[in-house]
Amino acid sequence: MKRGHVETFVPPPPQPQPQLNQSSSCEGKMMEDNNNNMDELLAVLGYKVRSSEMAEVAQKLEQLEMVLSNDDIGSSTNVLNDTVHYNPSDLSSWVETMLSELNNPDLDPTQDRSDYDLRAIPGLSAFQIKQEQEVEEESNKRIRLGVGSWSDPGTELTRSVVLVDSQETGVRLVHALVACAEAIQGENLSLADALVKRVGTLAATQAGAMGKVATYFAQGLARRIYHTTETTVNSTVVPAMEEVLQMHFYESCPYLKFAHFTANQAILEAVTTARGVHVIDLGLNQGMQWPALMQALAVRPGGPPFFRLTGIVPTQTDNSGSVQELGWKLAQFAQAIGVEFEFKSLAVESLSDLEPEMFETRPESETVILNSVFELHRVLSKSGSIEKLLTTVKAIKPSIVTVVEQEANHNGIVFLDRFNEALHYYSSLFDSLEDSYSLLSQDRVMSEVYLGRQILNVVAAEGSDRVERHETFTQWKGRLGSAGFDPVPLGSSAFKQASMLLSLFAGGDGYRVEENDGCLMLGWQTRPLITTSAWKLAGAAVSRR
Amino acid sequence: MAASDEVNLIESRTVVPLNTWVLISNFKLAYNLLRRPDGTFNRHLAEFLDRKVSANANPVDGVFSFDVLIDRSINLLSRVYRPVYTDQEQPPSVLELEKPVDGEIVPVILFFHGGSFAHSSANSAIYDTLCRRLVGVCKCVVVSVNYRRAPENPYPCAYDDGWIALNWVNSRSWLKSKKDSKVHIFLAGDSSGGNIAHNVALKAGESGINVLGNILLNPMFGGIERTESEKRLDGKYFVTVRDRDWYWKAFLPEGEDREHPACNPFSPRGKSLEGVSFPKSLVVVAGLDLIHDWQLAYAEGLKKAGQEVKLMHLEKATIGFYLLPNNIHFHNVMDEISAFVNAESCG
Repeated sequence: MKRGHVETFVPPPPQPQPQLNQSSSCEGKMMEDNNNNMDELLAVLGYKVRSSEMAEVAQKLEQLEMVLSNDDIGSSTNVLNDTVHYNPSDLSSWVETMLSELNNPDLDPTQDRSDYDLRAIPGLSAFQIKQEQEVEEESNKRIRLGVGSWSDPGTELTRSVVLVDSQETGVRLVHALVACAEAIQGENLSLADALVKRVGTLAATQAGAMGKVATYFAQGLARRIYHTTETTVNSTVVPAMEEVLQMHFYESCPYLKFAHFTANQAILEAVTTARGVHVIDLGLNQGMQWPALMQALAVRPGGPPFFRLTGIVPTQTDNSGSVQELGWKLAQFAQAIGVEFEFKSLAVESLSDLEPEMFETRPESETVILNSVFELHRVLSKSGSIEKLLTTVKAIKPSIVTVVEQEANHNGIVFLDRFNEALHYYSSLFDSLEDSYSLLSQDRVMSEVYLGRQILNVVAAEGSDRVERHETFTQWKGRLGSAGFDPVPLGSSAFKQASMLLSLFAGGDGYRVEENDGCLMLGWQTRPLITTSAWKLAGAAVSRR
Repeated sequence: MAASDEVNLIESRTVVPLNTWVLISNFKLAYNLLRRPDGTFNRHLAEFLDRKVSANANPVDGVFSFDVLIDRSINLLSRVYRPVYTDQEQPPSVLELEKPVDGEIVPVILFFHGGSFAHSSANSAIYDTLCRRLVGVCKCVVVSVNYRRAPENPYPCAYDDGWIALNWVNSRSWLKSKKDSKVHIFLAGDSSGGNIAHNVALKAGESGINVLGNILLNPMFGGIERTESEKRLDGKYFVTVRDRDWYWKAFLPEGEDREHPACNPFSPRGKSLEGVSFPKSLVVVAGLDLIHDWQLAYAEGLKKAGQEVKLMHLEKATIGFYLLPNNIHFHNVMDEISAFVNAESCG
């Protein structure tokens, strides 16, 4: 469905549907065919309502209206304010949910379900002895624009560009970068060589984010021109350094925190009554996601579940003993907060080497959660791997699969397209770092190096070396859908808490959270950068509340 | 009470197409949840529920868009919509987005979205769609301002942001028409956006920036007394007097009442517009909008002050008629707006 195609349609005099008593049989048939489709005019505005359902939705709206207008003391409005809302684009079920909330009020109205205690620990990791930061909700916090990329499945890609008004100064630099990439695409290496040198000169004198981004892109371009094959471009070779960089990235800006936070929210909502929880983390790294989840489980009404963590690590790290140490520290932490805990690590060379038996799941006594933060895209570097991995995931029957990925298409076939996409994407990322003026310079530098390594991989690597194969939510939705997974929408409570988390960061105004088709997107200004989504096996019931 | 509410619902359903009714009722319902009696606003839920779309530098139906951070210190964003470049096939690269406009006279509409000062954003789907339609119909550039909203940012924030945006547009070399190397600016807005357009035009007149015209779609004005239309139409077509009061309270400074000139420009406290430099105005009034008496009074006030005004009084239209192209009012208004902004170029 193309956006805006109705502009060319000359409308007949308005007729309230469904009084379609047209005389011509041809027209009548067309109407019949159209009724089962989404109303195109509402779809363009972000609402999915089938034409055939329109009258029913209207009736439900009327019903709700009745209830609320008779609500003199405002108790119904309060209930709906505290309710967790999901997927507002699906008007029919949104309205239905509210009606049923009002008809069957929560058994425990005193429990504020919208406030899990995750926000208490934005800066806590298992090893650092940091003060717990109390998150206080400031009363006049302004949360403005949301962010998002509402691209229809099946239409052309949306190119979301945010210009920062110092365009004039960076223009020559961007021009040279793009021209260089074009030269490489056209295999004119001598021209590309001249241009990449020019970029280097311009970048050196360019202040701010633009200069830094350009430097990394220029490095990538240079490697491509001179066919430098640096194996360190593939981050798994020097994992210890990678983890250190990631830790600085985690500390310095909200992206990783948002990723962990929203994924944990989805997990918590799926395990409210589980007696045993088994989280399988496809990328254990420093385990920074888990203390916060464990803390929230510890204070769960009804007591904490038994918590089991299986962390996947790349084969190379397993020898260093640091993983065992991590496990031990998490165990200590668990003991301190009163959560029964078990830890295991699995070392594999590639995620597609995982087999269901390796996890030793205990279906009778545990709820299995699969968590993947910035891991899935790596698997795309080898053909057939993603399908194998998803088959394995399905076989362990997880209740929920949480996925966090970069919101960009850096996996296109054409180099020039990838280059342009990445240039926009990382410019926004670097720009957001620039704004966090409370950033320790060391943290920022490390974050830039961390991101710089991704840039080098996207631009200079090929084949199985190119692991930063980011794809958009729409693309992942397609992959996961065909593999047999259904989306589980993230709701307004996760949204609210993520927004509040963001407002903690200096320059927090520039960060936006947006709900889009059930997923949550974090972005800088209006450019979405990270997407968190949740999935279940197709046909399985959602275990919520 | 219940019986007359039933009548209200049935009545509003007879005057608009069903999908329009569903759309606006959905907003009404959501907005009711967001306004708290104590004057605070559930902003998180508002942002969660609002359907947004990203800008798209790839043309769709002949229009592409991109966002610009026009003032970093207050995070003021605007979305620019342009007609596709006729001299090239490929979509514009990031360097070509601010290519100079190609025409003797190219109107630039500075647009302020509605939402009663509290709701919506420049990237709300309803407003992104409306702006794209404006570009398509008028063959102009549209710049949509993401102004700060009440109650967190009350008067005069929205006006200040509008003023900053006007200066930004006025100083873009790439927006200058070839004829006179000047930017041909029109101000436009619906609901609170119309109110903002009026106030920004006032300031423009005082400061010597030339605004060629104002386009006010169901502009949000009010006053102390309850007019006949407010009493007669209260609650009948999606809007209540009570919710109007809430939004004014949220926008106006603490302790102020609706006689404040921001609410009622022609109240005794407002400045006279006689002899003042002010653009010609196109004022569109929906007859089933409960504040239409205030809007008609506004148009009348402009006329009395000797200002040029064209009034379109659409007696059977409700609020939000311009959000969907499924009614005759939509098309009539689009045609009028196009004629209004292209008046200079017509021979």
